[in-house]
Amino acid sequence: MQTLGIISVNLWSILISLCNLLLLFLILKKFLYKPVKNLLAAREAQVQAQYDAAAKAEADAEAARAEWEEKRQNAEAEAETIVKTATANAERRGNTIVAEAREKADRIVQQAQNEAVLEHKKAEAAIRQEIVDVSAVLATKMLGREVRAEDHRRMIDSFIKDMGDGE
Amino acid sequence: MNKANRRFAAVDVLLLVLTILPLAVGLVLKILFTPPSEGIQITGALVYFTIPFPVQDIIISEAQVNSWLVILSVLFLCLYLTHGIRAKVKTRRQAMLEWVVEKSENMVRENMGDYFMGFVPFIAAILALSAFSSLLSLLGMYPPTSDINIVGGWAILVFILITYYKFKCGPLGYLKSFGDPVPFLAPLNIISEVATPISMAFRHYGNILSGTVISVLIATGLQGLTAIVLGWLPGWLGEFPFLRIGLPAVLSIYFDVFSGVLQAYIFAMLTMLYVAGGFPAEEFFKRQEKKKAKS
Repeated sequence: MQTLGIISVNLWSILISLCNLLLLFLILKKFLYKPVKNLLAAREAQVQAQYDAAAKAEADAEAARAEWEEKRQNAEAEAETIVKTATANAERRGNTIVAEAREKADRIVQQAQNEAVLEHKKAEAAIRQEIVDVSAVLATKMLGREVRAEDHRRMIDSFIKDMGDGE
Repeated sequence: MNKANRRFAAVDVLLLVLTILPLAVGLVLKILFTPPSEGIQITGALVYFTIPFPVQDIIISEAQVNSWLVILSVLFLCLYLTHGIRAKVKTRRQAMLEWVVEKSENMVRENMGDYFMGFVPFIAAILALSAFSSLLSLLGMYPPTSDINIVGGWAILVFILITYYKFKCGPLGYLKSFGDPVPFLAPLNIISEVATPISMAFRHYGNILSGTVISVLIATGLQGLTAIVLGWLPGWLGEFPFLRIGLPAVLSIYFDVFSGVLQAYIFAMLTMLYVAGGFPAEEFFKRQEKKKAKS
């Protein structure tokens, strides 16, 4: 078998070797770097997606929190208004009740007064009647004859009246 | 699931076998075709066959075949490493793969800058081809890097790249640079320009070849020494080269492993420095902006 010398230059060998290096370059580019690049890109996309999801979840939680906060505040305000209206209603009702009671009391007092006046008048009339009757008895006794109250009523009345006025 | 797993494992094993197979083929070829030799023989690569061609015959030598075998092996290794990688899980294989990619990218970024990130696979190709070619000598195969034609081809490719980038940076500036500092030094400048690939090729080739030569010399010398020192032993004991045990193995670590890897690193480094040095990216972009502003 033939061997080459230690130094033997062959143009075609050089060219072939040059192409070999280019070939290996293409092989490495296609079969080593491209898959790894894709892999790294995929991993990056995955991590990015996770970050995005986390950010979204955080935003959602924040939104929910804000919503609840708002609801809470609304509820507070509502409670306050309810209490306020209830207080106002109670006050108003109390006022009306008091006013009604006062009115009723006034009316009762008025009625009592009226009744008293009436009683007074009635008593007056009764007394007057009594006096007339007594006077009639007295007069009968004095005159010796019967005085008919009905006939002399006017006279007696005026007499009593004068008495009364004289007092 | 189980079936898929089994298939996955089968493909893995197949790819690994295909990675190792080219090396085995190279070894078998080496054993089949190496002529029986006597004494010290330091020759170039074996010639498997030649194809008649204009200018010079195409020689399919051991060096060529071995470098193709390395390329095949690397191809299947890549396929094995990238087989079944996924974004979510990180296996040991994947971690290794990412380490390789990351390291090579960092190396290129540090030495060439971000503009040259497309060079990463090329630099990786130089490193892989050169280192694995040199390491073939560990298997007893002919390292293609100790053939000047092989390394010369790489150096010429690098030279083409350097010149292309120098031209791209500014054709006039490139041509003018030959007349620096005084026009009559142009021949010297041209020589220094051409010297770049030649020195790169010869540095690599010389280092690997000299390692082989020294290894052979030492092995032969130790054989002679054994014959002198232990030749009095009776029978086959007198002929057995006892002193060849040990020292050549230690030297092989330096000449085959260390030197091979180091030369690959140096070749890649020089490529990066020359290409990046011939194309100052910042200056280039500044000039282009100026041109844009003018028009």
